[in-house]
Amino acid sequence: MDPFVLALWAIRLALLGLLWLFLFGVARVLMRDVRRAAGEVGAELGRLVVVASPDGQPPVGAIFAVDAVTTLGRDLASTIVIPDAFASTEHAVITYRGRAWFIEDRGSTNGTYVNGSLIEGVVPLAVGDEVQVGRVRLRLDRGRR
Amino acid sequence: MTAAAAVAPRGLARFRPRTRRRELVLLVIVAVTLAVGGLSLGMTRTGTTTVEGGALLAIYVVALLIVHLAQSLAGRRTDQVLLPTVGMLGGIGLLLMIRLPQGLVTQQVGGLTLGLGQLQLVWLCIGLGIVGMLGIVVRSDAWLRMYKYTWAAAGIALLLLVFVLGVDQNGSRLTLVIGPFSGQPSELLKVILVVFLAGYLAEYRPLLATERTSIGPLSLPPLPYLLPMLAMVGLSAGVVIVQKDLGAALLFYAIFLVMLYIATGRAAWVALGIVLGAIASVGLYLAFPTVQERVSVWIDPFADPLGAGFQIVQALHAFARGGLFGVGLGAGLPEIAGRLPIPAVHTDFPLAAIGEELGLAGVLAVLALYLVVVERGLRIAASAADAFRALLAAGLALVVGLQAFVIAAGDLKLIPLTGITLPYVSYGGSSLLVNSVVVGLLLALSDRGIEPPPPPRTRGAIMRPLRGRRG
Repeated sequence: MDPFVLALWAIRLALLGLLWLFLFGVARVLMRDVRRAAGEVGAELGRLVVVASPDGQPPVGAIFAVDAVTTLGRDLASTIVIPDAFASTEHAVITYRGRAWFIEDRGSTNGTYVNGSLIEGVVPLAVGDEVQVGRVRLRLDRGRR
Repeated sequence: MTAAAAVAPRGLARFRPRTRRRELVLLVIVAVTLAVGGLSLGMTRTGTTTVEGGALLAIYVVALLIVHLAQSLAGRRTDQVLLPTVGMLGGIGLLLMIRLPQGLVTQQVGGLTLGLGQLQLVWLCIGLGIVGMLGIVVRSDAWLRMYKYTWAAAGIALLLLVFVLGVDQNGSRLTLVIGPFSGQPSELLKVILVVFLAGYLAEYRPLLATERTSIGPLSLPPLPYLLPMLAMVGLSAGVVIVQKDLGAALLFYAIFLVMLYIATGRAAWVALGIVLGAIASVGLYLAFPTVQERVSVWIDPFADPLGAGFQIVQALHAFARGGLFGVGLGAGLPEIAGRLPIPAVHTDFPLAAIGEELGLAGVLAVLALYLVVVERGLRIAASAADAFRALLAAGLALVVGLQAFVIAAGDLKLIPLTGITLPYVSYGGSSLLVNSVVVGLLLALSDRGIEPPPPPRTRGAIMRPLRGRRG
């Protein structure tokens, strides 16, 4: 085959290739922008949704952002205040370590339950699990990113 | 000397260049792409290893780099993707104009006769000048924000001027000629419309979102606040319809619906708007023979392949010849019997030329470039400081995206063909300059160092201190 014709075809395909290379370069910049926007204010690791609350405090359906360390209890200094009569002042703590969630009871009077069973020590927590503090039940959901 | 020394440090303190590495990298890819395109064209045309239109392409790349350098030196933190993306589209357009017969459009400037490619380069360079200037100079949006009714009035006046002083071209009265200058004001009107709608919607958004007029089961936006917008849109669309510029009318109405949706977030109103638009289209169809012809050509171009359907049929054949990777730049079908297969290839049908010579891969790349422009505009809108800027950025980007969609879909026989330009690619001074204004404004809006917007003003907030003083 004529080397000139071959070179011409190579050039023609190179033109299309370069067009798509440009788009690829743009896409990389766009992806970086999206990731940076995700790391900005408003991003959260996870969220706790109130599923059951006999006294209506916090109300059912309320959503709390869960950070790397989140304390639950009647104490007003807790990250999530649970003013339930059966909750202790310092009831439980949820932590995010590496890529997994953990929950630990902080010596509460009535104990902390995960999916209905009483926990002892540090217990891993999965997305979708239900945590019961006092009579208030909360579900762990994925965060908005 | 002492005076100069005293002034110099202050001047230097404000002079803070910033490197724009991503923009530079993307611009280098644009330059290489254009060089390869010129080489492909030259090799096809002459059979030797030459770059066709090398000088024109080089001047264009240098102009792009100058805008890049100016922005770096000015130290503005503006968007780094818009300029290369639009630059790539403009470069593809320039390659096409170099490839098409130069005698398609000629203009005498002094003693020189400029052909299609040279003229396109001149417009592109002026356009890049506008982009650079707006991106660097505009530090406040007050001149757009404060005078929305003035802008609206100017737009209407411009349209009426075309009515009175316009010149008929291809059966449509679109071109305004004043002395040596001629232009199509409907292009400029689309930007003015976006500015007006952004200003109006930003001010009355809370009212539009909460109050409503109920007519039976329908819940409509509050009519008193909707009327000024409807009047402006109706007037713009009405005048361009009388001028038989149906593409512009479609664009204006679509932009109104899109911005109403962005401001209020109500899909039901958009649906209602589409229904009303459809009813209006049927009315137009019955009232104007031009529209009937366009629709019948769209439904079956092969009914009259040598007459009314000629351009569409040829365009469809061009897309088909192109296949997946195209026949190569410059290798497309040359003139048939001394004339181009598609007479309006440089204004209405550049996509058909791209489809033939660069194939589906090239067409998809071009459409993706428009998508990038829209994405950038929406991102700028999402991070804007207030409603006016968000609406303005989104509206400006979407007006480009919608225009590209309307003409691309028309070329592909997806919707009836309307004669508007493919932004940044088509030949034409008005279109290039106005779309450059769009990019320049988007760049200015994307700057994080831009002047903060004025605090929100409501009637109550203004009245309260007055009342207090009286009491």
